[in-house]
Amino acid sequence: MYSFSYQKAQSVDQACAALTRSDASRLLSGGMTLIPSLKHRLIQVDELIDITGLPGWRDIQVKGHHLWVGAGATHQSVSRHPDVRKFSIGLAELAGMIGDPQVRARGTLGGSVANNDPAADYPAAVLGLNATIKTQKREIAADDFFLGMFSTALASDEIIEGLSFTKPLQSAYAKFRHAATGYAMAGVFVAQISKDQWRVAVTGATDCVCRWDEAEAAAGSVPKNLRFVHDSVLDDIHAPSTYRAHLVNTLYAQAVSRLASI
Amino acid sequence: MSQISLNINGTTQKLEVEDRALLADVLRDKLKLTGTHVGCDTSQCGCCTLLMNGDTVKSCTVLAVQANGAQITTIEGLASGANLHPIQVAFSNCHALQCGFCTPGMIMATAGLLANNPQPTDAQIHEGLAGNLCRCTGYINIVESVKQAASAMQEKQA
Amino acid sequence: MNARFTPSRQEDLSLITGKGHFTADHNYPGMLHAYVIRSMHAHAHIKHLNLEAVRAYPGVRWVASAEDLKAMGAGNIVNPVTAKGKGGEEQVLALMPILAEGTVRFVGQPIAVVFAVSALCAQDAAELAEIEFEVLEASVDPEQTTLPSAVQLHGNAPRNVSVHFASGDAEPVNAAFAKATFTSQLRVLSQRLMGVPMEPRAVVAIHDEVAGITTVHTPHQGILGMRNFLALASGATPESLRIDANDVGGSFGLRGGPYSEHAALVLAARHLGCAVSWVGSRSEIFLSDWHGRALILNGEIALDVEGHILAIRFKDRVDAGAYNCMMSTFIGTRNLSITMGGVYQIPALFMESEVVYTNTTPVSAYRGAGRPDIAYAIERLVDFAAHQHGYDPVALRRKNFIAESAFPYKTANGSTIDTCLSEKLLDRALAISHYATFEERRAQSLSQGKFRGIGLSTFLEASGAGTAPKDQAWGEFNANGNLYVYGVTGPSGQGHSTSFASIIEKALGWPADRVRYEAGKANQKLLGNGTGGSRSLYGAGSAILAMCHQMLETIKPHAAKTMGVDIAQVHFENGVWLANGSTTTTAQIIDALKNEDKTSLSALGEATSGATYPNGCHVAEVEIDPATGETHLIHYYAVDDLGQVISPQLVRGQVHGGVVQGWGQAFCEQVVYDSQGQLLTGSFMDYAMPRAGCVPHLTNETYEVRTQLNLLGSKGVGESGCTGSLPALANAVMSALRPYGINQMDMPFTAPKIWAALQKAKA
Repeated sequence: MYSFSYQKAQSVDQACAALTRSDASRLLSGGMTLIPSLKHRLIQVDELIDITGLPGWRDIQVKGHHLWVGAGATHQSVSRHPDVRKFSIGLAELAGMIGDPQVRARGTLGGSVANNDPAADYPAAVLGLNATIKTQKREIAADDFFLGMFSTALASDEIIEGLSFTKPLQSAYAKFRHAATGYAMAGVFVAQISKDQWRVAVTGATDCVCRWDEAEAAAGSVPKNLRFVHDSVLDDIHAPSTYRAHLVNTLYAQAVSRLASI
Repeated sequence: MSQISLNINGTTQKLEVEDRALLADVLRDKLKLTGTHVGCDTSQCGCCTLLMNGDTVKSCTVLAVQANGAQITTIEGLASGANLHPIQVAFSNCHALQCGFCTPGMIMATAGLLANNPQPTDAQIHEGLAGNLCRCTGYINIVESVKQAASAMQEKQA
Repeated sequence: MNARFTPSRQEDLSLITGKGHFTADHNYPGMLHAYVIRSMHAHAHIKHLNLEAVRAYPGVRWVASAEDLKAMGAGNIVNPVTAKGKGGEEQVLALMPILAEGTVRFVGQPIAVVFAVSALCAQDAAELAEIEFEVLEASVDPEQTTLPSAVQLHGNAPRNVSVHFASGDAEPVNAAFAKATFTSQLRVLSQRLMGVPMEPRAVVAIHDEVAGITTVHTPHQGILGMRNFLALASGATPESLRIDANDVGGSFGLRGGPYSEHAALVLAARHLGCAVSWVGSRSEIFLSDWHGRALILNGEIALDVEGHILAIRFKDRVDAGAYNCMMSTFIGTRNLSITMGGVYQIPALFMESEVVYTNTTPVSAYRGAGRPDIAYAIERLVDFAAHQHGYDPVALRRKNFIAESAFPYKTANGSTIDTCLSEKLLDRALAISHYATFEERRAQSLSQGKFRGIGLSTFLEASGAGTAPKDQAWGEFNANGNLYVYGVTGPSGQGHSTSFASIIEKALGWPADRVRYEAGKANQKLLGNGTGGSRSLYGAGSAILAMCHQMLETIKPHAAKTMGVDIAQVHFENGVWLANGSTTTTAQIIDALKNEDKTSLSALGEATSGATYPNGCHVAEVEIDPATGETHLIHYYAVDDLGQVISPQLVRGQVHGGVVQGWGQAFCEQVVYDSQGQLLTGSFMDYAMPRAGCVPHLTNETYEVRTQLNLLGSKGVGESGCTGSLPALANAVMSALRPYGINQMDMPFTAPKIWAALQKAKA
């Protein structure tokens, strides 16, 4: 990789200052995406600002109906935390399905969410549970956060401190792993938020995580002719768009039947 | 350049490293601990797996500076003196290695798996080794050896 | 050492403790590091190459281009095997230069090499190279590359054809087809693959000015082959090269000879006067390790009214890639013809193959090198014909096996198969796989909405005939009390040392753990074959057995002395020395000797061992989830005749490895290029590999039929797993899908592909 200088930020202000200092500075959390990109010389940075030392960075805490997960919480810690399992099985199981054990030991919620890889798992839970993304400046609702492929509502000097989730009545995640990368070729997160409100979030199949209105209207049922339709279903050497769209239908049904078995 | 301190296999080492240096390369080139192998450049083969603060991580995807202050166990540090670790013994007994290139990473991944789940099912073993590639053995004997190691380690506990 | 821990293989202890010696582990003082500048175009003329800025970059010590290396004597990448065309024509050859000369013909082709104080420094410097390309049309598809519209890669190869080969006799074949009651035709693709040994290709070279010898550390498949080919590639004399025998992280056929980096580093070590190192990144390896397979096999079968096979003919297309490198000709000619009749008694056989050029990475041997491919084609063809004409696929095979009484059996195209008891292996495989009750299991799966299938292959393998005039092994006792055995074949994970030690233990009565096998020492003048074609065990093993027999003669006088008898009264039987009712062991005799007497005991063993015919019957049972198209392998059964088995555990391991590589080809691996010759599967992000659990249950048995073709009585095993698994897995998938109107599909059987086929069949 190209040369850069590394510093470990002790505070959000320090990290922010470094970000604003230069266009070519980047935040480093788990590094599971950033470091491979640097190794392949796909990007060049002047400064890497490690934010894994920020206070409260890895906190996971349930308070009543809310779950707070610090931006630096690893996938492993989220998937193993007993309070998270009780809070939302879908969230806990999803975290346990990301990548492989080594990736889960380093990758973080904040890193995944800020990157918004169209095939990442977390955005489905974040959108599916309508989490709130808290930065040092403001709070952003999930519905307003994911804008497009690798694109979010974050400003260039904005740092995610953590996410706040509200407890659903029930939730589940079903995923079909990409044979090579282990990312989601498609992933569907189903959550019953309240008696009459369902949310269904789809990742992997299109250019950005999105909600599926028709499935949400089905309110936890699987209508026979429910079909996922979207303008930008991905098509590549691994799978045509027809297959990915079909997977979404199948995974929705799987997630719903997972609800029944919890 | 940065000054870092790493506790490697029980010994603290103070090093000066380039900020862009990977943990795997520092271990191999500066500390001559060549048991940790580099098999790919997309963080998928797992040959570089070691334990960092008790977790299995891919050392090719960790900057040495990120590991500052960490406790690291490499394959060279798994045995206690002349006594091989039960995982090492099981791998040999079950013929779970052929060329041996993936083996250190595979053994370390197993160590992490069994530390967290001492009696894994076959499916949990497959998941636990999902980050490690082997081209020689077909994994069948590796899975067997994980089970054998798990039993041996349970017996030791009892 | 833990009390009572004996490693299962001699090789294990260093490998499980991280004390192996792989090439990249070498770190000499003052060592320089190389970075290779490669083409990013599939086909282009190099109009201008300016490396000045690279040379001037701080830390750079040398930058080598094609002119530099040629001036130092560099040749080309070796192409050791040629074939005559079907009309007796000489093969057209397009050899690959060590560094590109004027034209690049595949993405990844090396253009220049930068030597600097660190690998990162060399890579930084390399970015300053100024290369002006005139980009040309690329010809990427092996079927379209012979069309008039395709760009010609080499001036001497019209239609981009290297050779048009044939084997067998067309006339009786055509006559058979004319009179046949039933015929079937099936085109199968054995898709281009990457071998992916886990250790990336690497070279470390250091030159000793005084001795005039360059030591080369590199993963390889035998020192003689690597040394001799490297001499040709670099211009160095063979005597001035010493290939170090270090640990090799897998090989699978790809490391039989040098690549550009080997030649460049030898010359650099001499030029720079210091050690030099090059370690490939996996992305580079994807571009530049020889690729494997890449065959299109068009088979036809003719049956008489009773279902006897009258003839088989093949028309094959062999993609050599951009140049003739190493084994592509061998694969496309000998290896596609030697076992083209499989295990069947077929009166007429004919094949022709065209070896063609495309703007892709050159193709060479990958585990099986054409034989798994042809076994795949035959067994799919037989299955396909069975279903097309209403035969039970097992019954049709049984009807056509070469009869036991017919052995040794000379095939219609000239191979002589010593023995192959297909019926016995088939019966055993059917029994252990509970084949007879499959339909019950199919029904049960269907009740859960899943499609179950069972497939089998009765296959013939042909191991390597060997290119060396003979195999030799040298044994000598050492003052430290061990028996050192030297040979040429070098292991890449097979556990040769352990197997050879087993042979010696039996033949000499000498403890296996006091045997040290050393592959390849430069000062040996031994002949022998490298590792490849699954022949190391019986080839080198037979030479070792012969060495043991010689050694017994050498030890005999000492045995007589030890037992205080006349030499005529001594004989060796069942592992011990006997004379007049008393016994002693080789160890007792040797241990009692003075050092100078001990080290004087040595013996040379020689054996000439040609090809053998391992064979087997494999059965695979799969379950497909139509909702996703995903295939789950429920159980795999392998019954293999490998002749005399020396190390059962190692043999099982070889079959496991071969079967899972077959699984990879069957379900997820494929090298994909776009129409411009850009590699789309350039890393593990796009090239899917088998992972733990893909073959969850494998039952393997051996059915030993000793062969008379070598002293040891063994047949090769290294590649059998691939040869048996491609057809067994494919036939199983077809069995699951046939009820839904799908009769043929090409590998890899990915989930999206199966799902799409089911959708299409429904419509």
